[in-house]
Amino acid sequence: MKNVVRAFVLSLVATGAFASSQINHSTKAVSVKASAYPIPMCPPGDPNGCGICQLSACTVD
Amino acid sequence: MRWEGFHVLGLAALLRWVEPLLCLVGIVAIVRAKQSGPYRFLASLLGVHLASICLLLPLLAYHKEMHLTVAQAYTCYFYVYWGSDAVEAILAFGIILSIYRLAMEPLKGLQRLGMLIFRWAAFISATLAVSIAVGPHLTSTSFIIRCVGQMQQTQSVLTLCMLVFVCFAIHPMGLSYRSRVFGVCLGLGVMATDQLVATAWVAHAPGLYSLFSTLNGVAVCAAFSIWAVYFILPEPARRLIMVPTTSPFFHWNEISKALGDAPGFVAVGPVTLDNFAPAELEIMRRASDKMGRTVPV
Repeated sequence: MKNVVRAFVLSLVATGAFASSQINHSTKAVSVKASAYPIPMCPPGDPNGCGICQLSACTVD
Repeated sequence: MRWEGFHVLGLAALLRWVEPLLCLVGIVAIVRAKQSGPYRFLASLLGVHLASICLLLPLLAYHKEMHLTVAQAYTCYFYVYWGSDAVEAILAFGIILSIYRLAMEPLKGLQRLGMLIFRWAAFISATLAVSIAVGPHLTSTSFIIRCVGQMQQTQSVLTLCMLVFVCFAIHPMGLSYRSRVFGVCLGLGVMATDQLVATAWVAHAPGLYSLFSTLNGVAVCAAFSIWAVYFILPEPARRLIMVPTTSPFFHWNEISKALGDAPGFVAVGPVTLDNFAPAELEIMRRASDKMGRTVPV
């Protein structure tokens, strides 16, 4: 049990470390909130609402 | 950049409803376990997350019913999303701090030393996040996103470092893997890994938003479930810590206890009797009497 927990923790850390190295290589990295909700990447006031209508099936005003 | 492949139905949409429910279960479990004091940062993080979802969900799905235009709804969504993200990153720092404090409870000296180092690390991280975010062609939008992003990345790395520390030092600290300290740290570690992976993913493949949102939702629901389970189940009592007198832990703890104490003072130069209080003179007189000397009065 102890080894399983340790292996899981180490795999989390290794994944995080690898991802972190990939972030550092990228110039357009933007951090993301831990949530199932979509990330608003467009500037505020975007006339298309950054595609917000895709969920509610509305039309752009 | 658009939310391409954004699922209306399916697992991604389901997770958007499951996420606030698990968040609520976590808050209730913490309150019922009477742990809202020592884990106040965790309870606050869940509260902020739940509050942000309560605002984000209607903005996404029901902005027409709220008589908002698409642009207005998106603008509100943008500020709620990034604002809550920044608050959650700060609260996550608080959670790491409280985990460390609780884990090192028996070793007061090392706890004090670690807290001092951690506070400085957090202060430097926050300063670096702001300074890195300031750059050429700066707009308020890019500043917010970059500043929050830097803070979050730093917090994620710190969380993973704390997770490794707690995982490997948990038995010497008298705790077990069923302790809430480990559970909270594990949940936070899952979220931190998810955030780092997601950040790298978004940077390299911005078109894969549907799968990414689903994975992000699975990870955050897993973290909330871990917290809920750990606070619903009873926590085993902490074992007594026995360390040998030659243990470096013991020595460093004793040394750290002495650090930061108020120093003593030594009188330098001529000292007259007027500098002493009557009680001090009396003590000196009695001591001199015992030694067979006299004190000039």
